[in-house]
Amino acid sequence: MDIIGGILWPIKWVIEAILVGFHSLLTMAGMESAAGITWVLSICGLVVVVRAALIPVFVRQIKSQRKMLEISPELKKIQDKYKGKKDQFSREAMSRDTMALYKKHGTNPLSSCLPLLLQMPIFFGLFSVLNDAYADRPGVGLLDARLSAEFGSAELFGIAPLGSSIASSEGNVAVIIIAVILVILMTGSQFITQLQIMSKNQSPEMKASPMYRQQRIMLYLLPLVFVFSGFAFPIGVMFYWFTSNIWTMVQQFIVIRNMPTPGSEAAQAREARLARKRQRKGIPDPDDEAPGTVAVEEPKKPQRQQPVSKQRAKKKKS
Amino acid sequence: MLRVLRVIALIPRNAVVAVLHVYRAVISPLYGDVCRYYPSCSAYGLRSVQEHGVLKGAWLTTRRLARCHPWAEGGIDDVPLPAHSPYRRTRFGFITLERKA
Repeated sequence: MDIIGGILWPIKWVIEAILVGFHSLLTMAGMESAAGITWVLSICGLVVVVRAALIPVFVRQIKSQRKMLEISPELKKIQDKYKGKKDQFSREAMSRDTMALYKKHGTNPLSSCLPLLLQMPIFFGLFSVLNDAYADRPGVGLLDARLSAEFGSAELFGIAPLGSSIASSEGNVAVIIIAVILVILMTGSQFITQLQIMSKNQSPEMKASPMYRQQRIMLYLLPLVFVFSGFAFPIGVMFYWFTSNIWTMVQQFIVIRNMPTPGSEAAQAREARLARKRQRKGIPDPDDEAPGTVAVEEPKKPQRQQPVSKQRAKKKKS
Repeated sequence: MLRVLRVIALIPRNAVVAVLHVYRAVISPLYGDVCRYYPSCSAYGLRSVQEHGVLKGAWLTTRRLARCHPWAEGGIDDVPLPAHSPYRRTRFGFITLERKA
């Protein structure tokens, strides 16, 4: 066994266990064992398990993004300090200062590369499991020879085998068409999600930072990567990716709608929505109290007391 | 003669530096800034290989990657530098011998 195979082995085992688990649940529910839809839904099940496991990471990230509001004045100070300095050393010094600020306040808006690193082996594991299944090899664990053969030849929409890709389609038009559609859907969903985050859920300070510009470039670069990678990946893997993207999109939508980043466009939209709702129901806005109460709490001085120098104060007394 | 051998000994280190440069230029930007530390993990890896060579650099980088997870505190975490280095970094980050005095 080569090194990569050795690393992938446990991951493949877990993936197969999840797939077979969902598959047996679905067959128990009365679905046909060899039907394409059963296996496609099993892949959806895999997405649900993986993404649900990543929810705590996501929640943590949102929480620290909320905390960013508290430190935004200090962040602004750092940005002003290095304003207009584009050389490498200033850039590095700025990142260093920013990171020190995060540490000082015990927050960090960045999630580390673990969520990415965690998803990549799963992706390649599924890739490998599907390839084996398509080549009529049994899996490493619970996916025995019969199930593996079923999985490899299970078809999406009844025409395109999950294990086939554009590269291995040998001119099968159905496979090529479905693969192209999946690439377009994948790219589209990724693009929408990114655009949602960037245009609606970022504070003005964030939008002024160099990090934002980098994200913008990414936004237009990533779809290109999908187009190129889409050719080599089996349809089942692309379907997994697409379903995962849909999950991200929905998750992002819920977050942007219900807990937007303070100060962002989405936050203003939420305020407006809540205000409309209150108006409809006739509930007074909890933020602004009745006009009378404010006056009672803070009796306004009619005129500002002019400062008087010590000598003049003495004069007045006498 | 000794000088030539020392330059040859630096080849693996510079090969890894080149690979990391390509990674940082091509793959890193694909997912943007995510690292909870400064310098980022790949910058840390690059510097540690430059300063300590492939083996110790790989060890330091592996430990750093293990430290970098969503529950880590993050912050500034520089590569431990040797007190005296017989080498010099070129403009492109490759490692060469110090010029003869």
